[in-house]
Amino acid sequence: MEIRTIEAPFSEEVLASLHVGDIVNITGKIFAGRDAVLPKIVKMIEEGTLKENGIDLQGGVIFHTAVSPAGVGPTSSNKLEIEGTMPELTKAGIRMHLGKGALKPETVKMMGENNTVFAVIAPVTALLNSKVTSKKCLAHPELGMEAFYELGIDGFPAVIAAAHGESMF
Amino acid sequence: MADYKDVVEKVADCLVRAGSTFTEDRKQAYHEAIEVEDTEIAKWNLQTILENAEVAERDRSPLCDDTGIPHVIIEVGPDKALTGKTMDAIREGIKEGLKRLPGRPMAIMGDDKERIDMSGGISPNSEDLALAPVLVRETKEDVLRVTVLMLGGGPAIRGLTQRIFHKHNINVVLDEIVKRAKEATGLLGCTPCALAIGVGRSQFEATSLMMEALADADFSKQTEMENYITEHVNESGVGPLGLGGKTTVLRTFMKVGPQRASGVRVVAMRPACCFEPRKASVEL
Repeated sequence: MEIRTIEAPFSEEVLASLHVGDIVNITGKIFAGRDAVLPKIVKMIEEGTLKENGIDLQGGVIFHTAVSPAGVGPTSSNKLEIEGTMPELTKAGIRMHLGKGALKPETVKMMGENNTVFAVIAPVTALLNSKVTSKKCLAHPELGMEAFYELGIDGFPAVIAAAHGESMF
Repeated sequence: MADYKDVVEKVADCLVRAGSTFTEDRKQAYHEAIEVEDTEIAKWNLQTILENAEVAERDRSPLCDDTGIPHVIIEVGPDKALTGKTMDAIREGIKEGLKRLPGRPMAIMGDDKERIDMSGGISPNSEDLALAPVLVRETKEDVLRVTVLMLGGGPAIRGLTQRIFHKHNINVVLDEIVKRAKEATGLLGCTPCALAIGVGRSQFEATSLMMEALADADFSKQTEMENYITEHVNESGVGPLGLGGKTTVLRTFMKVGPQRASGVRVVAMRPACCFEPRKASVEL
């Protein structure tokens, strides 16, 4: 079984080469955020305050997870405040949404139109902990484990579940 | 009964085991499921979950970052007593266990309104996560046994407790459970699940029975009704992590309580995730 390593943030060419069913190892820098903070990030996009907080979403990955002493692991991406913010985050430059659970057909279509993919990662916290190389809170520290983080990662295993308007669901 | 400190220590260790360990019967069920699957992705997903369990058990670290809300079931034998002091020690043991695992700090602070909309903020302390209401049941064994279950949020989103009109036909009830389970597991994400079901006369009774089903879950034992539900839900093809395959439900665990003379049955269903039931027991 072929497992391809891809480094985040991604170029448009790398994204165009990803297909449904591909298994990938993700390395590099990714963002982490979930229910509480993603609507606040959308608000920051609208207010134009991302840059002053050192956040550049271009080609980026958002991993739908909390960041806590217990580790990291995907929450359900089809929660209202997560799937509901995907269009704005995609429009602002995010090119991979990383989580779990089936997404709506209209979300899959929207991502396909923007060369953006959805990747599913198993909730394998014990395995993932050894692959997190750095953690940095970027915004909304008052949210504790639900704040917006940047993670350095080395080999997160994931399956491309939606790309080019097609999905595995 | 052991003294206060011993109870605290035993319960703390029990919580850590619950949050970090796969029982042997569950490991065997995973191995069987890997053999049954015929796509590389489904096999790989199941293998990855199993590898994660091995690392978590070795390191005594959380299986999943959603370490769950602690729930406790206490079994009381005929000559045993459950005192207020023992309850205090159990509660203290849960706090200590949450510190050691560590539990994800996710207790919401504030008054009733603030806890509902989360405006009261999140406590940074793992041990502030309050124990859920305790379920006490009788046993003929001469023991005072504590079972700790850690219940995650994903299955809570997709779980459902609602009546079914049985129409004097068992298949009406089973097929409605299958229908509900197919919908729930399709959105869960963390499949394969262990489907926990309680059938009772009230919401309280059905949910209590569902909790007992989780506590008593043995992956090597299945009844005819449990097999029926598992097989029919698996026809959906949702598969491991929702990415397709034959194993959407690994096992079903069902408890049927006393029923009332009525056309209605109350059914509680929890599509427990790929790591649940996260449970461990200890005798005090």
